[in-house]
Amino acid sequence: MNSEHEPKIVAFLCKWCSSAGSDMAGVSRLEYPSNVIPITVMCSGSVSPLYILSAFNLGADGVLVSGCHPGDCHYIKGNMYARRRMALLKELLPYIGLEPERFQMSWVSAAEGLKFTQIIKEFVKQLKPLGPQTQLRRSL
Amino acid sequence: MVEVEKIREEARRLLQEGQVRGVIGYVRGPQGVWAVPAMIRNPEDVDRLVWNPTCVHNLVLFVVEEKKEQARQKEPDKRPLAVVVKGCDSRAINVLLQEKFIEREEVILLGVSCENSGVVDKKKLLNLVPSQKIEEIVYGNNGHIVAVIDGERRVFPPEEVLADRCLECQANFPVVYDHFFGEKIKKEAINTSPGVDKIEKMRLEERRRFWEEELSRCLRCYACRSVCPMCYCTECVVDPISFAVEPTTTAEEKAKKIKWIEKSPLLSENFVYHLVRAIHLAGRCVDCGECERVCPEDIPIRLLNKKLEREAWRLFNYVAGMDSQAPSLFSTFKETDPEDFIR
Repeated sequence: MNSEHEPKIVAFLCKWCSSAGSDMAGVSRLEYPSNVIPITVMCSGSVSPLYILSAFNLGADGVLVSGCHPGDCHYIKGNMYARRRMALLKELLPYIGLEPERFQMSWVSAAEGLKFTQIIKEFVKQLKPLGPQTQLRRSL
Repeated sequence: MVEVEKIREEARRLLQEGQVRGVIGYVRGPQGVWAVPAMIRNPEDVDRLVWNPTCVHNLVLFVVEEKKEQARQKEPDKRPLAVVVKGCDSRAINVLLQEKFIEREEVILLGVSCENSGVVDKKKLLNLVPSQKIEEIVYGNNGHIVAVIDGERRVFPPEEVLADRCLECQANFPVVYDHFFGEKIKKEAINTSPGVDKIEKMRLEERRRFWEEELSRCLRCYACRSVCPMCYCTECVVDPISFAVEPTTTAEEKAKKIKWIEKSPLLSENFVYHLVRAIHLAGRCVDCGECERVCPEDIPIRLLNKKLEREAWRLFNYVAGMDSQAPSLFSTFKETDPEDFIR
């Protein structure tokens, strides 16, 4: 595998916690790899599995979905619905042969800038040895 | 035993009294012994109704189609539809009720038991009996299937000729019905899903190769989508044609339209299509097996649905279509849902 490969991560961050958490990492001047493309969504519960498949389809090497901790959701229970949906997707992707590391989910609160950087650092570390994701990538 | 005459009697009564606008059932098809679905509107026609192991179709599809058709009518016929349902079909009705796509009063369910057996897989039977000269296929004892070929009775054990889904079925009688024909016999599944077991035992690369081989054959004819009673959306995410393009639509507007998946049957797009399809059916698929039956390329589509069925049970203790009053899989959650995969 190409160890020089720089993975591309698409991160769906909820507006109220995880996106603010990544902001916190920024204003705290914490360093983390620049491989991540953040997409702010209103709630992790608004992330359809189709978004994730589409991200892989358009060339992502890894996808992260991040929301508020259970009980902290701005919309009370959006993240709980997300948890159910993503649990099934998490089982389905390795079933068709995609490496399980490529799709991850996390709870990051607005105060956890440090946790956000750690998650991204570890994600990149896990993705590098896997090389580029080609299974779902559109090959036109 | 299900007595066909009783089904006919009930259908005739419903039609004569004008209680229903039609009876959806099985009739003997043009290809000899193989049954086909039919909408019966005249009481004189009810004698065409049959019930035998070739009644493979999920007739709930036509309830969905009729519902859409009636919605287009200026003066819709408000009377209910009578429909013959097997165990799996009745669970499909439950899912539609759960999702409030139909109301209970809109259908009169003529439940039939699968006679402690199931329906025949045409391909399996024609492999054993090369001639198409089968005159009749009926249920025998202990789930056996009897085929009359050239006047001679041949008995087949269930595991040789039944559809895979019937061998894996654990509830071969309706869970919701108005009239019931036959006996409720709880059957033991022979194996709940050997196909899924097989894939789960493979290494990651083997699984990828397996699915690449299968899905590369997909033509994207969408037969699996058309035949599925759960795929009732009028607009589908994989269908770019469903976005209205008018003469006044500018190129810029067209470019801005979200196009999730390319139309061409590329391997990557096929993967995304089948994953989207499987996810959309998670907790809704009742394993009627129609998608796999109609696939012109024999892609084992059921294996994707079965996997999610298994995970829905393992993670959330959820079985699709057993209770029309319970919330659907994704419209509810529990505090104790697993989250060990979340960091």
